[in-house]
Amino acid sequence: MSLFDVLPWRREKKAVAAVEDDLFDDEFQRKLEYLALVSRRVFAGRLRAERRTKKSGSGIEFADHREYQPGDDFRSLDWNVYQRFNRLLVRLYEEEEDLAIYLILDTSASMAQGGEGGPATTKLAYAKRVAAALAYVGLANLDRVSIVTTSDRVMERMQETRGKARIFKAFRFLRGLSAEGTTDLGDAMKTFVAQNKRRGLAVLISDLYDPRGVERGVNVLRYAKFDTFIVHVVDPADGRPNLQGDVLVYDCETGDEREVTVTAKVLSRFADAYRGYLGDVERFCATHQVPYVAASVDVPFDELILRVFRRGGFLR
Amino acid sequence: MIFAGLPLAELAAIFGAVGLGVAVLYVLKLRRRVVAVPFAPLWERILRDKEATSLFSKLKRLLSLFMQLALLALLVLALGDPRAAESLVRGRTIVVLMDASASMQATDVTPSRLSVAKDEVRKMIRGLGGADRMLVAQMDAMVTPLGPMTGDTSALERELGEVAPTDARADFPRALRFATDVLRDADRPEVIVVSDGALGPASDAAGAVHLGDAKLSYVRVGKEGQNVGITEFSVRRYPLDKGRYEVMFELTNTGARVEDVELQLLGDGALVDITKLRLQPGERLPRFYPQLSGASRTLEAKIARVDGTHDDLAADDHAFALLPERRRARVLVVTAGNAYLEAALLLDEYLDVTQVPPAGYAAAVVAHPWDAVVFDGVTPAEMPKANALYLDPRGPGSPVKVKEALKSPGFDRLDRRHPALRFTALDDVNIAAGHRLEPGEGDKVLGASNDGAAPILVAGSRGGYKFVAVGFDVRDSDLPLRPAWPLFVLDCIDWFDDEDARYLSSFRTGEVWRIPVPASVAAATVAWPDGSTRAVAVHEGRAVMLGEHSGFYRVSYRSPEPGGPEGGTTFAANLLDPAESAIASQDRLFVDGKDAGETSPFHLGVRREIWMYLLLAAALLTALEWATYHRRVTV
Repeated sequence: MSLFDVLPWRREKKAVAAVEDDLFDDEFQRKLEYLALVSRRVFAGRLRAERRTKKSGSGIEFADHREYQPGDDFRSLDWNVYQRFNRLLVRLYEEEEDLAIYLILDTSASMAQGGEGGPATTKLAYAKRVAAALAYVGLANLDRVSIVTTSDRVMERMQETRGKARIFKAFRFLRGLSAEGTTDLGDAMKTFVAQNKRRGLAVLISDLYDPRGVERGVNVLRYAKFDTFIVHVVDPADGRPNLQGDVLVYDCETGDEREVTVTAKVLSRFADAYRGYLGDVERFCATHQVPYVAASVDVPFDELILRVFRRGGFLR
Repeated sequence: MIFAGLPLAELAAIFGAVGLGVAVLYVLKLRRRVVAVPFAPLWERILRDKEATSLFSKLKRLLSLFMQLALLALLVLALGDPRAAESLVRGRTIVVLMDASASMQATDVTPSRLSVAKDEVRKMIRGLGGADRMLVAQMDAMVTPLGPMTGDTSALERELGEVAPTDARADFPRALRFATDVLRDADRPEVIVVSDGALGPASDAAGAVHLGDAKLSYVRVGKEGQNVGITEFSVRRYPLDKGRYEVMFELTNTGARVEDVELQLLGDGALVDITKLRLQPGERLPRFYPQLSGASRTLEAKIARVDGTHDDLAADDHAFALLPERRRARVLVVTAGNAYLEAALLLDEYLDVTQVPPAGYAAAVVAHPWDAVVFDGVTPAEMPKANALYLDPRGPGSPVKVKEALKSPGFDRLDRRHPALRFTALDDVNIAAGHRLEPGEGDKVLGASNDGAAPILVAGSRGGYKFVAVGFDVRDSDLPLRPAWPLFVLDCIDWFDDEDARYLSSFRTGEVWRIPVPASVAAATVAWPDGSTRAVAVHEGRAVMLGEHSGFYRVSYRSPEPGGPEGGTTFAANLLDPAESAIASQDRLFVDGKDAGETSPFHLGVRREIWMYLLLAAALLTALEWATYHRRVTV
């Protein structure tokens, strides 16, 4: 401990660093191994590690025929068909390729709100663990995993990578993230789609506190043919704020202010509104066949990951 | 409307300053706690309904401020003590004379006349106007103001609670003179007598009482009552047989019907005699009980109805008396021989008589403290330090100067009331020869010859010791042959011993009592019948006090000088007043030839002090503010 460590701001900085270190400790990594193992056993035979695209290519599984065109490889001609039907048709095979998994992490200011048990219990910390777990499972399945952070735009990006050994790169990336800025999923997803031409699985990990609506962002992903998966990070304390009397509430992202006299009746109405908001999001996802999982910060992250697996859509 | 407290300008300044403070505090109160929330649109959802009422909400906040300013205004106004302008000029000055005499203990009204009287006065106090002032005085054998003239009703009610009944008659003229003195030059003076009306005439030795401008009002308490009381009670020992005594009673029926009563006589607490008597309406029945014995100190008389019920006044149903205390007295007789004197002294068994010849006087007089010394034809060079009876004194040592000889003197003039001459008849005593005595200053001539010109029997005191000088040799007269001789000798010794004072069987309540104590005593304490003790003044060998309660008292004294006398004596006191026993309440009261009227109206429960109501309103407003705040009506 250095002399400067006695200074308060130094102590605070060190404390935050310690929290970040604890986020992905040995215990966490053991759980990741367990989750990867469970993912293989549970989905064995039905879901393989390798994915096949519908694109025809150089694979070994027959997919279809098409008319011969000058320039095609003669080795691809189906001579049996030519003999029967006197037509030159070229055999098409399903091309095998690895899946691109985009973990889109919301790092807007609202993600750092709450956390009654300390910095390690904020929605952002929870989201980081979920992202790390999903990244590990993806890397273990030889998928290409990329992590993107957003607020009202795409903020930071961890380049695509594959292989289990690269999980520490993901840890380092996640540790360096902090919550700031406003949420605008619509604009952020437009940027994301423009930057990522390769389609794949887009897992959106967010509290979905978007003043302009969640729908815009999700629809951008859907229209761009991304397989979209929503992990909605929920802090139950958001639904029952510890307020009483005359207060001035302001939005931690937008700064919008409202004068409120908080009574038991007001708190009850707020709880109703909060539940209604969650219901709206879930209904939208169900209506548009977007896999959706509500991730309460009260629930252990490994239990949540299993829930994600069972929900389907992440592994196939 | 006027302000009896702070003036209007000061009130306005206080309101302005404090009101500004309230407003500033109110603005500070409106600053809300700032709280960050993750998603404000959720709050907007629930506040959307409230948008329409925001104007009303602001109004409610203003209402809260107005309520606080109104509260401040009420408190500031209360500081000003606002009053109706006319209340100051129309205030009355009232003296209430509360009769606390014995008859006010009558129970013909429930619970007693005095309690009812207190209730009446309490109503008056609570109905006092804002500018009215009142003084409550207790009227019994004396008049006692219970507090100053004031408009403070709580103080007046507290004073009223101190009124206590006595066993004495009321001194109405004195009370009226006190009231007129208090009300002199006062605004709208009024005297209110709260009594049963048994007060006697409103005049005394100084003449009739004149009330002047003061209005006299009479609040009658009580009604007709049935009462039998002991109106006389006296006891005395026989002078020549002090072991026996005789008792005299008088019972009076002041009611309107025949009463059968049982009279009990108790000696030293034990029943001595019991008698049933019948008294006609208005009858005064004397009774005499001679030759009684069996009590050595106290006597009590009690009467009760035969049928076990009680009459309306208990204060006169019990009387107390004290028998003279008997103690042995040491008497030194200096004589060459006098059979008549020796015989007289033998009659009282409580005398320890020592007889010495003149030559043995010097040795004998210092041997003991003597209660009395009798010099028979002998006169020492100086008076002994004891009371002394001189028979035919001679020479310069005589307490009185012995002048010329008298031939055949007689008792032409006698002071029959002197204790030394009690029960004696000396008018026709024949005396052969004697000498004229010249009394000193302060001496009393008990008997004188030559139509009073030649004193031959003188009493007085020298150096604190009493003496009686007889200006002739009793053997030169026929006095020793008369019953008056032993009576005279024993009377003198009794007087020396102050037994005469103790002979008073009881004092009357309502009078100033003078209880004899040793001359050197400067202060004494009296234990009252209720057990309390009080210091009393001692003046000229008498403890002086005004007694107002019947029963047995005990005076204790101690001389401030070391080795001085200390001890005590007991005495009794009784009401014994037919006027107080006549408890029928009087319809009307006349003073100074005028009939007392009714009191000016008092409005029960209405106070003119507006500040009290302002404070009450402030309290209500505070409660309202509290309730609306917690129900979120004004926030």
